[in-house]
Amino acid sequence: MNYMPGTASLIEDIDKKHLVLLRDGRTLIGILRSIDQFANLVLHQTVERIHVGKKFGDIPRGIFVVRGENVVLLGEVDLDKECDQILQRVSIEEILEEQRIEQLAKQESERLKLQAVKERGLSIPKADTLDDF
Amino acid sequence: MSEKEKEWVIRLQMIQLQSENPHLDDYYYQEYYKRMEAKLAEEEKRGEWAKRETPKLTTPYVIKSESYTPVVHIEGSLGQVAVSTCFSPRRAINAVRTHSPDEDVKDSRQPRMEVYIEKLFSQLLEVEEAARKKGFVRVEEKGGLMEEMEKKVKQIYSLIRHANLHESSEEFLPCLLVSKGKRLLARLLPFLSHDAALHALTMVTTHLPTLMSKDTDEALPVLYAPLRDVISALSFSQLIGVLKDFTIVVPESSETILTLACQNEFGLSLLYVLLSQGERLLSSNVPMEPNIGDFETWTDTVFQVAQQLSHASLVEPLFLPSNLLTLFCRYLDKRTVHQLKSNMESASGYLAVAS
Repeated sequence: MNYMPGTASLIEDIDKKHLVLLRDGRTLIGILRSIDQFANLVLHQTVERIHVGKKFGDIPRGIFVVRGENVVLLGEVDLDKECDQILQRVSIEEILEEQRIEQLAKQESERLKLQAVKERGLSIPKADTLDDF
Repeated sequence: MSEKEKEWVIRLQMIQLQSENPHLDDYYYQEYYKRMEAKLAEEEKRGEWAKRETPKLTTPYVIKSESYTPVVHIEGSLGQVAVSTCFSPRRAINAVRTHSPDEDVKDSRQPRMEVYIEKLFSQLLEVEEAARKKGFVRVEEKGGLMEEMEKKVKQIYSLIRHANLHESSEEFLPCLLVSKGKRLLARLLPFLSHDAALHALTMVTTHLPTLMSKDTDEALPVLYAPLRDVISALSFSQLIGVLKDFTIVVPESSETILTLACQNEFGLSLLYVLLSQGERLLSSNVPMEPNIGDFETWTDTVFQVAQQLSHASLVEPLFLPSNLLTLFCRYLDKRTVHQLKSNMESASGYLAVAS
């Protein structure tokens, strides 16, 4: 039954598996159980998925209640297509290790960039002084 | 989620779609729907596809409760809970307006007139909107529309006249002293009946010295165009009546309005338009029914004006009608005309065309 044709509503997505992207960069995958007028979400059997390069790892989290304003986007997961992925699933420890290495590499490149820039007499404001919302 | 919960969320979202004027409030959705339906109708006409029933969004009629209980007292609880809905947010301050009778009268007078004029302006905007609608409204509706317009115009006119309720002798003036009031009158004039417009013109000429001296914003020229149109519809006797006002001596300065007008571009332009109209009426072959003494007043005024114009230093008028010199040639000798011509030309930089 189409509740509100021609409009965008989450009513249809209840009890379906969803992928939710949050503003802090986290990716959650869970079954959408409940919504309200602010698009606050209740996710059941949630898993936080971390991606590094072509590898990913899932951390089971249980039930998530997400405040609507923190959601960037969400979409229904196609259960058939979920199986045949190019991405390689690894264990949690491995993916966390990969993430740590990636973070270090990023920090290093940032540091070098900042140094090069300082040598040339310019200055780039640091990310934490900017308002990232 | 239970059905009840789903219903609740849907109902809440539907409330936001309620509106008296969907075409204004929800423009994009309405447009989208109109186009979709047009497209489907097109397809159906071509008979290519079977008609697909588009589900229509039916907004349930939810009665908006007019009453609003700002504070709800729950049984057995301490204190009060502030209740807010999306139409009436939480009342944070208990601010009640008390009217103190001994307010400073002078302070409240100035903004009051401007607020008054603003209200009249919004009525005028409705009249102008109705005038625009007249072009493409159905014949049956036209009569009702015209009546509405006339009623509003009359109301605005009488309200401008008696703006100052205490001193009813000062018609128009309080309103006209405010520059927006001048603009209001300028936009109202095209809608007024001939008699009402004539009355307005007479008022402007009698109060001309005050208006000219107090015109700090230089808003008077805005009245020029509509008054010029009014003057071009005047009969000879009406014109004479208005011109007579120019020869009145202003008590404070012991000069005639005429002299003062020459120093003000609006006053001077108004004078020129009046003379030009007289000249046009006289030189055309339309039979006039002048009152007794009209011609005398006319010639007297023309002489007086000529005298004034040739000796006084003139300011540049807003517009110099081309038939003025023709008029002067008719009544005056060549020398005076020549003097007049050079004086007028030096003021305006235009060449006053002679016959």
